[in-house]
Amino acid sequence: MTASPSIAAGSGLEVVALRALVRPAPLVWLPLAPGDRPRVTPGQSVLAGALLAERVRDALIATVPADAMAPGTGPGDWWADDGRRHGIRRTRADVAEGELLYRADGEWRLATGARPEQLEAPAAGIVREVRPGSGISLEIAGAGIPGVAAIGGPARGRLDVVGGADGDLRSGSLDVARSGAIVVAGSRIDAEALTKARAMGVRGIVVAGVASRDLRDIAASEARQRASLHRLPPFAILVLEGHVRQPIASPVFDLLLGLAGQEVAIVGDPPILLVDLSAEILPIPPPDRVRVRRGPLAGREGRWIGLAGRRRFGAGVYLEGARVDLGEDRPISVPLADLERFG
Amino acid sequence: MIARLFDVVRGTDPALASELRLPDADGDAELPRLVARTSATPRLAVVAATTRQRDLLTAAADGAGWRTVGSSADSVDQLGITALILERGISAVLVGSGDPPWADERPRLADLARVVAAAVARRPELDVIVAGSMTDQAGLIQRPGESGEATRGAVLFGPAAGAGSPAGEPLRVLLERLRAAPDDGRTAIVRATRTLADVLDRRIETIEVGHDAGLRCVARPGDAVATEGPGSAIVAAGALVPPDPDDEIVDGILGWSTVARDRHRLRDRLRDLRAVPWGDADGDGALLRMAAARAAVGRILALTPALEPAGAPDLVIASGGVWAVAPGPAVTLALADVLRRPGVSQYAYDHARLLGPLGTIEDEGERRLMLRDLADELLLPLGSVVLAAGVRPGRDAGHLLVNGAGATSELDLMPGGLQLVDLPPGQVATAAIRFRDPVTLGARGRKFEVEVAGGLGGLLLDLRDVPLRFPERGDRRRELLAAWQSALWTGIDE
Repeated sequence: MTASPSIAAGSGLEVVALRALVRPAPLVWLPLAPGDRPRVTPGQSVLAGALLAERVRDALIATVPADAMAPGTGPGDWWADDGRRHGIRRTRADVAEGELLYRADGEWRLATGARPEQLEAPAAGIVREVRPGSGISLEIAGAGIPGVAAIGGPARGRLDVVGGADGDLRSGSLDVARSGAIVVAGSRIDAEALTKARAMGVRGIVVAGVASRDLRDIAASEARQRASLHRLPPFAILVLEGHVRQPIASPVFDLLLGLAGQEVAIVGDPPILLVDLSAEILPIPPPDRVRVRRGPLAGREGRWIGLAGRRRFGAGVYLEGARVDLGEDRPISVPLADLERFG
Repeated sequence: MIARLFDVVRGTDPALASELRLPDADGDAELPRLVARTSATPRLAVVAATTRQRDLLTAAADGAGWRTVGSSADSVDQLGITALILERGISAVLVGSGDPPWADERPRLADLARVVAAAVARRPELDVIVAGSMTDQAGLIQRPGESGEATRGAVLFGPAAGAGSPAGEPLRVLLERLRAAPDDGRTAIVRATRTLADVLDRRIETIEVGHDAGLRCVARPGDAVATEGPGSAIVAAGALVPPDPDDEIVDGILGWSTVARDRHRLRDRLRDLRAVPWGDADGDGALLRMAAARAAVGRILALTPALEPAGAPDLVIASGGVWAVAPGPAVTLALADVLRRPGVSQYAYDHARLLGPLGTIEDEGERRLMLRDLADELLLPLGSVVLAAGVRPGRDAGHLLVNGAGATSELDLMPGGLQLVDLPPGQVATAAIRFRDPVTLGARGRKFEVEVAGGLGGLLLDLRDVPLRFPERGDRRRELLAAWQSALWTGIDE
């Protein structure tokens, strides 16, 4: 599914870092905590939105006599009250099931609690691994657009491209019409717009860069939400480029434009936007297209000219350089390590 | 790259190519290879009955190259400990107690052992290290003997965190053995440093700052035969930019920065630096890199006080890619800014990254032979640093006379300042230093005559405070740092 532009032999372009536009059939990890109840088994096929697990809120430890267990029961197994007393002592009257933690003095300690939240499959795929208390591994049937960081989620919604690749998403651009959407915000989004997006029911934000301070604040806010009684739907942010301001790479932005209106999902491990991708909308950038990913020219794109050898750059530093046509009067030299190409 | 190198050798010296049995241009190169690699720092869950014991265990693990995350039964319930061990990123579990157990941990040990045993039973791939008197609970933690599981982790028994001299060293060695793969680059650098100290008959300190960890190794002649033992530490917190840098790390880097930045913007730059460590290496990116490198060396030193040598080592070796982009004199200054040890040391850079691969040679004799053969090319000489402590402020601190290779340099000593004497790589000279008042330069005195070796930065005379003292105001601090740095960094303002 990935495009593999051919490279002219000897051009030197092969030494430039290759960035994958899409990753086919990514394997994503959806974390669970002790007390969460998985509802799928390895090998099972699931559709987007299918129930994967029930998540416990405020898990607590309860004690159950060992003779209430079936033979061969072990840590991580799920126990459900069969109605017999077994001399059960409970810290809450409604505890009737839970995840077994460990056995001590003829009793089992188990993690239990109310499970009001459901973990749904972010996309269709096959369950590869289920580890109670740890997580679920899901092989996605579609593809993914990789990012560099993500928080929150998994979150699912229709893709809504609001601005340009290098624009800022201001809070005024957000209204209830975008409720349930995953919004492509462009270059940057500030804390105010993030807060408003969440309040408006936006499910997720895809953005080139977010200040790490804003990410941290939103992560804390998301954690508080999860602990509250009246929860909002899951919210996630996917960062595509980094934390310092720069536009979304044009081949990635073109790809997002092609996917506008489709159901997509953000997951955090790995940070990726899950999409159902057909080959027709997969942009194939020219093989000599390169992008400056770091440094003062970060975000600029142009055409590869060739290797420039060891050159003197800012602060008198000598680095391996490359000549790139960035659309100015003449090609300029850029440190080789600052460049990336697409594949 | 190897093919291109062969082409060059064949083109310029066919006889040598023949002697080396280089393959033909279209032939496959099947030459012996030395492979050393540094891998991502694994995470270790450190579990104990009490916070105090957990901190001791963590200190031992911190010097063994693990990234630790701790939990103790007196601060977290069984659910928290289970969740920690089940966390996906955890590679091994260290559970321990004192030997004999302390009074406050004794009542919790059996329950803790059961919790850990149940959790690791759910993750059979985890390695488990049982330390101290927790080994008495080993029957609970031992895994049932199942065969045919290729990914099954080991259960190891180790000494208590307080055992050994220095305290924790035996446990640190055990944890390092467990962490390091046979071709581990950092373990190999330690081995090469020890052999090199023996070969050169010099006391050597190697400081490596890497992407995911740092290394400090102090070796004396004769250490090569001891392949393990005190003298080295691999520190995850010594990475150029640790993952998710907290305020303390950011402030530490800010303290060395010559560019005014707020904490949040700096954190963003650092995260991007970690993501693309070879990017943004020129302009103010180069300055940021050197500030981060100074802070990383500072963290390595702070976490390895037991390695502090009695005096300045004869040779300080810098290793790691972070030093590759700055001019040699600027690298010397960065190290001298943090290693404030009075004395005379030669500084060098492992520019070809050969210490690691050479350290993978198993046979001590063969390794020694190879290092002796390559001694002249192995390291890039940065220069010598004469660092005096206790220089009184005033107009004149004394006089320096450098004699070497038919040339003589004289200099009046400037208290509190940095002075450079041109001394090219490969040259050795004698420096006669006469101070107006007694100072500490290895020993205490007024007159010294020392041998110094040349390098890219020549001879650096450092009469600044030990430790360095900075103005309270941030802008003045930055000005002072910039003034020191610009004197040794050609083209810094370009």
